[in-house]
Amino acid sequence: MARQVTENAVALRSYAEERQFPRHGLWVGMLTMALLVAIVVSLGVGAVGVPAKKLVLALLGGDSLTADQRIIVLSVRLPRIVAAALVGSALSVSGLLFQGLFRNPLADPYVIGSSGGAVLGASVGVFLLSSVTVAGFGATALLGFLGALCSILLVYALARVHGRTPVVTLLLAGFAVSTMLSYSSYLLEVLDRDFGTGLRVLASWLHGTIGQPTWGQLIIVTITLALGFAASIPLAHRLNTLSLGEEYATHLGVHVQQTRIAIIVIGSLLTAAAVALGGLISFVGLVVPHMMRMVLGPNHTRLLPATALAGALFLLLADTVARTIIAPAELSVGVLTAFIGGPFFLYLLRKTKQETLL
Amino acid sequence: MTPLLEFAGTSFYYGDRRILDEISGSVSNGECVALVGPNGIGKTTLLRLAAGTLSPATGEVRLSGQPLKGFKQRAIARSIALVPQNVDVPFAFTVEEFIEQGRTPFLKMFGGLQATDRKAIEEAMDLTDTRSLRRRIFNQLSGGERQRVKIALGLAQQPRLLLLDEPTQHLDIGRQLEMADLIRSLRARGIAILASMHDLTLIEGIFSSVWLLSPEEGLRKGTPEEILQPEFLGRAFRCPPHHYSALEERIRGRRERVL
Repeated sequence: MARQVTENAVALRSYAEERQFPRHGLWVGMLTMALLVAIVVSLGVGAVGVPAKKLVLALLGGDSLTADQRIIVLSVRLPRIVAAALVGSALSVSGLLFQGLFRNPLADPYVIGSSGGAVLGASVGVFLLSSVTVAGFGATALLGFLGALCSILLVYALARVHGRTPVVTLLLAGFAVSTMLSYSSYLLEVLDRDFGTGLRVLASWLHGTIGQPTWGQLIIVTITLALGFAASIPLAHRLNTLSLGEEYATHLGVHVQQTRIAIIVIGSLLTAAAVALGGLISFVGLVVPHMMRMVLGPNHTRLLPATALAGALFLLLADTVARTIIAPAELSVGVLTAFIGGPFFLYLLRKTKQETLL
Repeated sequence: MTPLLEFAGTSFYYGDRRILDEISGSVSNGECVALVGPNGIGKTTLLRLAAGTLSPATGEVRLSGQPLKGFKQRAIARSIALVPQNVDVPFAFTVEEFIEQGRTPFLKMFGGLQATDRKAIEEAMDLTDTRSLRRRIFNQLSGGERQRVKIALGLAQQPRLLLLDEPTQHLDIGRQLEMADLIRSLRARGIAILASMHDLTLIEGIFSSVWLLSPEEGLRKGTPEEILQPEFLGRAFRCPPHHYSALEERIRGRRERVL
């Protein structure tokens, strides 16, 4: 009863407060433009600067660049830029899916335990199998990917009770498994005889670093992302319905259990693909979907394309700064995502009215 | 004539606890039924069985003579709309986006809302007088507005039967009367209604029949005049005999108000 009174009071105060979300087509267009501009800018900056005009001409098929510049721009910077965009996009879409699924604004791509498995897998790669490579991926990336997938499967199996998977059990099992796995990687660190180097490699991976991927790696990740994105389109509508609660969704003909499994599979695949290319990059998957929701509202069908683009743009910018700010040395991009993403997010948080936050 | 919705010896158990025991009853096209009974007797369960979100342990629920379990849930939701008691939406959906969800059973795998969907949504907003709320955030609405918007979502399903779970709960007297008007106008449009009702004073003049669920006697059906008697209500709601006179007074009070 008391709650009802408060609700009425809130409603009276904000009476006539209306919300008209901007046309999302416009935003998708603007984000696409911004992403293209960011790619050109990022291609030009670094230890060797290349003027934007020459770059654009070269990209359009001209031969305005010297041979050295061509190598730097096309073989060194372009793969890395593509990788950053793919990772940012994958993490953001995955974060959007998990936030929608768990109806929880704190969910991020690692919420159901993928990070712990990824850490353990990567540690095994760093300390025990550092010389192995498959399809261009080193053991760290590969085992990180497998670790992320396996820990999610384990969490899902553990959380299943009588053929159902309650959300709370899933979150708690994810937390427990993830913590156990990431601390078991500590054993490997202690047992490591080659003091120092392995730890440094692992640390840079844990903070998130977009390395120097091969085109083969990029193609594999691009295909994964394209499939994941295509499969997310029909799920976006179901996520809207699921937002109203399980009872409504079931009644309206959404197969709640199937939808959950589909979202977990797709979200995990996207996260694992991102982990393989960039290690554990914090904040992107949490912050980008929120930023887009503040601008475009909570409708997942509108959020999906915008979030994919904004995630790509965000991580591309962060990675460009990470590799140029203390050149020739590099920062872990995870440091940048935390430093840029954190304050910007807090600014939005303060600016947005509480009731319209989510 | 085949009834629209039919319970045939329907029972339901939560674990070992029997909630509904061989309930039989039917709702015809355009009929308006109030479901009455003490807390925990299974009113919400009965509505969920009718909506197909729960399956009976024994017996059947039938839609136009066909067993409900033979239908896909999407097909059920195109004939029967359930308006749950409580809705908790974690995101700031606008009223319009909320009502759009009523079209979910009509959507194709990859398709968005079509012109026919838009038309159904506009009609639902007209019927419930929620057009002016369309850009408001659902979570910021008052109790009465929220109830109307939830019914609009149900009407967007273009159902032949609307299941309302406590539509007047938590509403002030003014909003209760508004809700009574809304139910009357839906009834006038030929939509059948099965609504669980706590407030017995709102039933007469709105509903054509009453189903009384009582712990000992199961389901008793009849017109409001037949069922809203102190002896039936007293047994169903477990009033000790010395409360019967108070109960009768209340019902007589209701009668006087109606007259």
